[in-house]
Order: sequence, then structure tokens, then C-alpha cells
Amino acid sequence: MEFFFITALIVSFYVAWNIGANDAANSMATSYGSGALTIRQIIIIAAILEFCGAFFFGARVTKTIAKGIVPVELIDPHLVFVGALAALFSAGIWITVATFYKLPVSTTHSIVGAMLGFGLAAVSAKHIALEQIKWEVLTKIVLSWIISPISGAILAFVVFKIIKFTLFERYETQEVERVFKYLQVATACYMAFSHGSNDVANAVGPIALITGYKELPSWILFFGGIGIATGVATWGYRVIETIGKNITELTFTRGFSAEFSAATIVLLASYLGMPISTTHTLVGSVIGVGLAGGIASVNLKMVQRILFSWVLTVPAAAALTISIYTVMVIFV
Amino acid sequence: MRFFRSIGGIFGYSPFEDLKKHASLCGRAVGILVRQFDALEKGNYEEVERLREEIDDLEHHADKIKAEIRGNLTRSLILPVDRHDLLEFLTVQDSIINNCEHVGHMVTFRRVKAPKEIWSDFKVLLAKIMETAVEYEELINHLDRLVETSFSKKEVKAALEHVPKVEELEHECDLVQIGLHTKLLNVDLDLRDAMIMIQWVVHLGYIANSAARAADRFRLMILAR
Repeated sequence: MEFFFITALIVSFYVAWNIGANDAANSMATSYGSGALTIRQIIIIAAILEFCGAFFFGARVTKTIAKGIVPVELIDPHLVFVGALAALFSAGIWITVATFYKLPVSTTHSIVGAMLGFGLAAVSAKHIALEQIKWEVLTKIVLSWIISPISGAILAFVVFKIIKFTLFERYETQEVERVFKYLQVATACYMAFSHGSNDVANAVGPIALITGYKELPSWILFFGGIGIATGVATWGYRVIETIGKNITELTFTRGFSAEFSAATIVLLASYLGMPISTTHTLVGSVIGVGLAGGIASVNLKMVQRILFSWVLTVPAAAALTISIYTVMVIFV
Repeated sequence: MRFFRSIGGIFGYSPFEDLKKHASLCGRAVGILVRQFDALEKGNYEEVERLREEIDDLEHHADKIKAEIRGNLTRSLILPVDRHDLLEFLTVQDSIINNCEHVGHMVTFRRVKAPKEIWSDFKVLLAKIMETAVEYEELINHLDRLVETSFSKKEVKAALEHVPKVEELEHECDLVQIGLHTKLLNVDLDLRDAMIMIQWVVHLGYIANSAARAADRFRLMILAR
């Protein structure tokens, strides 16, 4: 038992690390691409604020992941332990495979799919009935996946249009951009904080379940926060540098519009306890700025790839969880 | 093997830098034509031939840029201007350098003999065309600022002020052309010399026409947003 718990912690740390290395890096890359911050500054800001977001504001989403999808109180604690482990392993494996093939998957979708897989495995073993899976919560989550990028796009569209009509029409563009250089430092912090608050759950949700919590022990969020911060510091900088090179045309005003909008939507989702994909929301926001005429060229092919990996992720993570669960039930 | 997921792909191909490059080739081609007519007057036919090749190279380069833009402007891109308007504009802009190429070739067809006043009229016409091309390039160079300010009203106004200027210069080219035509048909010239020189005048006019039409297309593209 203890062996499995330690393994679970390691996998959870790995997922948190992966979130920091990839997703946190993606959301910070706009600040680097526009040149508002140096890579060192970004790493420091991201590590500290991702941690703060996770630790101080990550509880609600973690609760949704842990207890919102599967009615765990109806299942034998031993099996919940196995199920949480299986979900965590499966999410970890799926994220790794998808990252290897450069699919823009969301860790959020992976863990939600994995938890659903655990629920379905419990149904097939007749521990719970199919109706007892919390479909209404799941529906809300899936809806939030659709709504969040769209809201990001709308908000970013409006924010950029306001900047255009109130500032570009009146002042010199260079002056406006210079002011937004400083504002973008603030939105980078905002982005990191909200990202941490929403995505920490993907790594530690199952751990919270394993510890069988009534109240979420704070060390779990601390642990997840450290994992994300480590990911940013040890690998994220490479990702930031690589992506940042591609997005040099994102000036300070554009970067601000996209980041501010995405961070706002993500933080709102965290407040509502909805696990959403920060990356997808940011993509939506960039498209919003593009639709407002702010970007020389936005490529919607990316949206196709996101939709493809999205449709693929939930069943893949669920199926993987069911297989791992089935094997583990025999041994644990 | 880099191990990461990225959203960098959301930023697509931007045609504006290439559009500017393409426009600058048009201006350079007109510049070479000016030198080609100088060489013609002096009877330096080797130089005329060499400059023809130079224009050919420029035109070839411009074709490559045009193909690059056309090949990359897929439907999946969100641009700040309409994709069709942009492609339409590019086609007309491309006809500027195509017409330069035609003239570059036509002047090698026959070694003409003409009095000094004819050559100096050609020089006047070429200078006007050069002026038109320079004004046109200034218009296109506003693209950067237009994209930067996301086509703010102020910037659109500043850019479009060049369009009537291009049109005015094109009109002045027409006037010079009329004078030159009259002269070519009334001065005592070898018939075939007169025939080919009339062709030169007509096709030189096409260059200025193309620039004016491209400027108009540019305006449509900017205003249709």
C-alpha cells in the first residue's frame, strides 16, 4: 500500500512538472515573444505565481476532479485508492505520449477523461450504477471546455478593440506600446496565478482522493504547486524560448489583450470549480485579438488540431484508466 | 527530439512583409528602365541587353514572391484584410513589373534612330513614371504602420493620401504620352522606328496605369475592412 502511495506521489509530481514545463510555459510565452520580460524574469514570475495560484486558489477545482465526477463515497475506499492511482497513471502516460507526438492536448481533459474511466470501470464492476456517475457535473465541465475558449475570444476581441479606439486613435502607437510593456508584466503574473489555480488539480486531484479527505489537506496543493514551479524552472524555459521565437509579432498591446482575457476566464473558472484548459482559452483569446484585426495572421489550422486532440483525449484517457484499473485490482 | 506541446502554430503566415518586398521590386524595375533608355540613346546596345536581363531577373524574383504569397494564403488564416481583396491587389501590383518587363524586351527588338527631342521626351515620360512608382511605394510602405495600429483611422487616412497623388501622376504620364504620340506620328522618322516607338509609349503608359490601378486596389482592400 505504502509503495503505491509513494508511486502515486511520484506520478503526481511528474504530471505537475509536465504542466509547469508545457502549459505554464505556453501561457507565459506571449510575454517572452513580445519582449516584455527576459527569460529569467519569466521563470521567476511563473514559478512563484504558479505556486501561489495553486496553493491559495487551487482547492475548488481539485475538489471537482477528486469528488465531482465519480461518486466516491459510494465505493469501497480501497477501490477508490486503486481507481485514483489508475486515473493518475493513465493521465500521466497519455500526456507523455501526446507530448511526444506534439499533440496540443490538455492535461485537464486527460485527467477528467481518466476520472471518467475510473467511474466506468466501477460501473462495469457493479460497484455503482451508470446513473450514479455525476453526469450533470460532467456535462457542466464539457460545456465549460466549449465556453471558455469562446469567452476568451470575445473578451480579448473587446479588450483589443477598446485599446484600439481609445488609445491607437489618439496617441502614437509606440507610446501606447511602451505603456503596455509594463502592463504586460502584470498580466503575466495574473496569467501564471490563474493557470496555477486551475491546473494544479490535474496533478493532485487523485492524490486528494487517495488521502480520503473531508477537508483538503493543504500539503497537497503545496506539493502540486512545487511540482509546477519545478517544471517551469527545469524545462519550461526551453519551451518558452522555442514558442517565443514564433510569436514575435505579438506586440505588448496584443499580448496584454490575449493574456488578460485568458487569465480572467481561467480564474473565473477556478472560482466556479470548473477544470478548463488554460492553453485552449489562450488560443481562443489570440483568435479574438486576430478577429479584432490586431494580428497580421492567425492560423485556424491550430484549432483543428486542438479539436482533434480534444476528441481523442477523453476516450483515450478513459480507456487507459479502465485497463490500468482492471489490472491493478488484481494485484493491489 | 524536443519534448513539448506548443500553441505557437496559432500564428500563421503574414503576407505583408512579402507584399512590400514585391512592391519594391516594381520600383527597382522602373529605375532600370530609366537607365535602359539612357543606354538606348547612346547606342550602347550591350548595356541595353544587360539591363533587359536585370529586369528579367527582378520579374522572376517578383513572380517567386507572388507564388509564395498565393501559396501560403490559405482559407484557414484570419487576416486583418479580406483575403480576396489582398490577392486581387497582388495581381494588379504584379502587372506593374510585368509591364516593365515587356518594355525591357521591346526596346531590344530594333535599333532605332530618333532625333534628340524624341529621346528627351522619352526621358520626361520615364521620369514621370519613376515619380509615380516612388509615390506608389510610399503608399505601400504604410503597410507596417497600418498593421501595427490595427488600421486606425488616423493611419488609414495618412496612407490613403498617397492614392490620389499616384492617380494624379498617372494622369500627367498620360499627357506626356499624348505629346509623344503626336510627335512620333509627325516627325520625319523611319516607319518601322516610329511603329516600335509608339509601342514603347503605349507600354510605358501601362506601367503607370498598373500603378494607379494597384493603388486603387490597395485602397479598396484597406477600406473594405
